[in-house]
Amino acid sequence: MNLVLELRPPESRFYGSWRERLETVAKLRRPDEVHALCEQAYILGVRTIVAVLDDTIREALLTFQRWRDVAVWAVVPNMFAFIRDLTDLGMVGAARSRFLRLTPAAMTRTTLGALGALGAIRRRDFVAGALLVADMEMAALRGLRVTRLFLHPQLTEIALAGGLPTLFTELATRAARQGIDAGIVTHNPVRAATVLGADLARFPAVIAPCNPLGYKMFPGRDACEALFRSDPGRFFADEVTAGGSVAVEKALGHVQGLGLAGAVLDVRAVERAYQVGGVGTAIPA
Amino acid sequence: MGMVHGHLLQIHPETELVAFVDRDTGLAAHLASQGLRAKLYPSLEAAYGETAPDALFVCTPTHTHLAVVRAALVRPVHLFVEKPVATTLADAEAILDLATQAGVMHAAGYVYGHLPVVAAAREVLAAGVLGEVLRFTAHAYVSEVFGEKRGWFFQKELAGGGVVANMASHLLFILGWFFGPIRRVVASTRSHASAVEDSAQVLLTFTNGVTGLLDTSWSVPGTQMLDYGLTVDGRGGTLVLGRDRILLHLLSAAGGYEAGWNEIHASSLPADAAFDVSPHIGGEAFYRQLTTFVRACQTRTQPFSSLTEALNTQRMIDGIYTSAASGQPVDAA
Repeated sequence: MNLVLELRPPESRFYGSWRERLETVAKLRRPDEVHALCEQAYILGVRTIVAVLDDTIREALLTFQRWRDVAVWAVVPNMFAFIRDLTDLGMVGAARSRFLRLTPAAMTRTTLGALGALGAIRRRDFVAGALLVADMEMAALRGLRVTRLFLHPQLTEIALAGGLPTLFTELATRAARQGIDAGIVTHNPVRAATVLGADLARFPAVIAPCNPLGYKMFPGRDACEALFRSDPGRFFADEVTAGGSVAVEKALGHVQGLGLAGAVLDVRAVERAYQVGGVGTAIPA
Repeated sequence: MGMVHGHLLQIHPETELVAFVDRDTGLAAHLASQGLRAKLYPSLEAAYGETAPDALFVCTPTHTHLAVVRAALVRPVHLFVEKPVATTLADAEAILDLATQAGVMHAAGYVYGHLPVVAAAREVLAAGVLGEVLRFTAHAYVSEVFGEKRGWFFQKELAGGGVVANMASHLLFILGWFFGPIRRVVASTRSHASAVEDSAQVLLTFTNGVTGLLDTSWSVPGTQMLDYGLTVDGRGGTLVLGRDRILLHLLSAAGGYEAGWNEIHASSLPADAAFDVSPHIGGEAFYRQLTTFVRACQTRTQPFSSLTEALNTQRMIDGIYTSAASGQPVDAA
């Protein structure tokens, strides 16, 4: 089973207490601590990291990829940062700040790409806007070996609710142009299968909650597991410990029992598995 | 928020989205591009001319809520009003009066009250598991305001206030739902970045005698989403409410819980939402909120999240601002 470490800005997670939040955020604001966490995950068998990237995570992964052969799956855009910029700077300002982070070559590519969508952008077209922001963040990931591209769940769920397969298929097309593929990360995999139909086959990895308690499995555990069983090699289990309610080993056993392609471990799961199981013993292969 | 509600109304099996209303008709293309299929009308009058909605969701800036509700109730439509209900207590009372006179069902958008763990905590308290409830401490923090901010959301006359009205009100609603009508408020607020209050410390006393402290700020680093917590002490133990779980410490067994520590995790609570529109902010609470409102309309029974309950929240908000301005305790009328 493929194990995937999930990284995102520590400020965007929920914690058991305010103190736990402060301690964890302070720790994971340091690239060396993120690097150390990646190393723990690697020892446990993780060979892929799915990440919402900010400067800290990007810096940590840049150095980690020099050290270890791991794939990075990028989740773009960093929606919380984008929403913050939207309220502070407005739509134009938020886009401008991302644009200015690009290299001159990436600026040119982004500008040329956006020219064809100017009308749609002016009309505030959701798909065009989302892809433009995703393009800019992707272009800013220079140096990282990104092998798979995902849209941020906040965009994904809105697009799934609206029944917009175009956003996903267009992302897959753009990813293919860069020689990589696209995936989907969602809490609503059954809806994703409905919205995308046969196009779901264009996404080799769909990350969705899967645990023995049905936690965060929408519309329900039975419907999700029926979907997983229909094409298990496409699905990666997220929320495997059901918010920490299930031991990592048991959670992974459940995923293995369903025959899924892999499982996503969050920071806490990696830390617990590392502490409990010791080096290389905690997680079944 | 209008778009989130729009998507849920479109996807919920018991609702049909029939219209959007916004003066900015240029919004139509944006809504359509999100897959929102209902037609956009420039006014309620125009929408009512072509559609006959059973319910209306008011998701406009807070200062417009009263005018929108007044215009909406030319025909009897059930009302869902986003939080905070109004910029002033008087407006919130007027909105409730209008809804009551119209005989419609009504609800306010305090979405965190619909999280399964919050509902479970309320059940524990209502069942008397803690015995007599004595006191609480609560916090509501988010990392949002660290410098000057622009837009209606940061103007008191348009938004009703700052962190208290727009963030901590979620927790104030929960406190009111747990402990009942507010009796007295003592508060201090401070603006250190924006033109509205960025932090507040509040002492609340409810009519049932429960007292407690709320500390809130949207200028603390470390949390991109609202981080709230509530610790309730009773004669029989302590309840700690977090985002995904309740920790319950009991001096002796009560209500089916053992003496000592008990944990109620969200994963053990009924999963009754079919879609998660916003995994990181609100989660399934948005879907549950809509289902609660639908049930209220179907059964013609006001929901726990009614505008009556929200008026209690508005009294707390108003009391906090009045107390902070005067430096005196404020008693609810």
